[in-house]
Amino acid sequence: MTVTCAAGAGLDAIRRSLYAQASGLRANDFADCNLSTWIGRVDGVERVPIAPSMRDYECRNNRLALLGLEQDGFAARVASVRKRFGAERVACVLGTSTAGIEQSEQAYRQPEHSNRFGSRLAHNPHTSTRFVAETLGLAGPVMTISTACSSSAKVFASAARLIDAGLADAAVVGGVDSLCLSVLHGFNSLELVSQQPCRPFDRDRNGLNLGEAAGFAVLESDPSNSIGRLLGWGETSDAWHMAAPHPEGRGAISAMQTALASAGLEPAEVDHINCHGTATPMNDRIEAGALRHVFGTPPPAVSTKAWTGHTLGAAGIVESVFSLLAITDQRIPASLNCVEPERDWSDFILRQARPASVRIVLSNSFGFGGSNCSLLFGAP
Amino acid sequence: MSIKIDILGVGISAPGIPDWNGLRAVLDGEPLSSEHELPQTSLLSPRERRRAPATVRLSFAAAEQACAMAEISPDRPAAVFSSAMGDAELADYMCRTLAECSQPLSPTRFHNSVHNAAAGYWSIGTGAFADVTAVSGWNDSAVAGLIEASTRAATGSGPVLLVVYDDYGQGPLTRVWPVRQPFSAALLISAPSTKNHSLAHLALRASNARNQHPDLPAALLERMADNPAARLLPLLALLAGTGPAAITMAAECGSGLHIEKIRA
Repeated sequence: MTVTCAAGAGLDAIRRSLYAQASGLRANDFADCNLSTWIGRVDGVERVPIAPSMRDYECRNNRLALLGLEQDGFAARVASVRKRFGAERVACVLGTSTAGIEQSEQAYRQPEHSNRFGSRLAHNPHTSTRFVAETLGLAGPVMTISTACSSSAKVFASAARLIDAGLADAAVVGGVDSLCLSVLHGFNSLELVSQQPCRPFDRDRNGLNLGEAAGFAVLESDPSNSIGRLLGWGETSDAWHMAAPHPEGRGAISAMQTALASAGLEPAEVDHINCHGTATPMNDRIEAGALRHVFGTPPPAVSTKAWTGHTLGAAGIVESVFSLLAITDQRIPASLNCVEPERDWSDFILRQARPASVRIVLSNSFGFGGSNCSLLFGAP
Repeated sequence: MSIKIDILGVGISAPGIPDWNGLRAVLDGEPLSSEHELPQTSLLSPRERRRAPATVRLSFAAAEQACAMAEISPDRPAAVFSSAMGDAELADYMCRTLAECSQPLSPTRFHNSVHNAAAGYWSIGTGAFADVTAVSGWNDSAVAGLIEASTRAATGSGPVLLVVYDDYGQGPLTRVWPVRQPFSAALLISAPSTKNHSLAHLALRASNARNQHPDLPAALLERMADNPAARLLPLLALLAGTGPAAITMAAECGSGLHIEKIRA
């Protein structure tokens, strides 16, 4: 597995940030964007060279994808998986929300340069999945899940089904989402963006910070060198509103309960929770209520979004990797920037990192359209 | 190893093809007109209908037909909405508005621009709490959606609705999305069961072979070349035909499906 986000490119850099309590957020310096906010921008994305043979895929999302594939020896690891099973038996299932729209945003700003439009392969939701599959030489089923902020959590479930059904023996899963004007101004229009570094579960939280990330993992049944196991998942809909969660967290509750039931686990067996925790006033209150409903007294829970920003379609893979790191390192990070937790309902949010016996972790991802996904990971 | 599924219902909405019987007529040699009357959905309140983007009306038209033919309440199945581009109209709106810097983005149009907008409105409109997901495979969206829906049906516990749709392009974005004719089609899929009144029983396996299917009328081949969603047409023709038959739905990138109709 690997992740590249504002908190670092690759697991070693991310571990250093986690151990040093060093957030990857910065005052907004995204090109051509004057919004007063903080962002989780990944350094150097603009300068990542796309090979001439892959020019048709030129866009920020694919440059970020390539930077991500270069970390932690991930591409080499996939090469060995491909050799073991054969390219046609390895699937590629990635999540995204932004994909390559930034390429078209730039083209519209310079109408005299119509050649600035990317190729047809750049601005579409599937661009990065295809780019990654071609870069890694994968020839199994290639599919994009695009359900806003639950996208790259749901890839684990889709890939597991492909393997269960016999359409593949292994899968590269993950997600890539990049900063662009559409999401910066779009979330701002919904009044969900904070002008300060975000403070998930804090009493004074006032919105999210947008971020970008690329993250990948290899899913296969019964691997010899497993980092962790996918124990279960729950995917549900709110049937409520396009942009607001169900007020009682109905869909979130059933996603967590479905995940527990599919894993055959009791709530008390979960050691740690990586929350969706966007730091909007409503998300955090409703998610905390849903956690109380499912767990009674929840285990130590954190939001890692104050390290990374909300990476939207990549949030699922970023937080899945953070969940697996908690198992690998036997250490739960702090919920950064939660200084004064809401007294009545967020007392179970962990404010100090600590070593812990972590065998089972729940990771929550909730998105627009009322799309919910809860994943359960376990020690190998 | 193959996946076995039953097809319990079919729906389709495209210019000249208002429903399943309309497609059968074209397959039998009737000329294909360009008229497209999209029905208004009864699943959404008047307020939601006003707020919903165009992809909702297009995708719901086929989805509701498939549920009706299968006699399954639309809130029951898990659902897979597959689209190559999602909402090209809203992508054009956002790029244009951001470029002009003249007015802020509309919050409603922004949240409607997510790829799972049609899926989200389906959950809201039907009251479905089951999973309603949204996938894309660009030109391979029809086969990608079929893979996601059939693996769900084969490994899960209930029926799965597959909706494959794509709308036409507009504005400068036609450079990257030149589609001229909208298309939507839907299948109600379940694991094999003797209790089902199925339209067909299919065996699916992954295949990296080229496209293979019997000849379709030229007008339908044009639709397949125009709109990635229409690449579901060979499968729909397979379902409409009598007797066993097989097709291959290839993918431009990665594996597609070999599909065998074992019995009607």
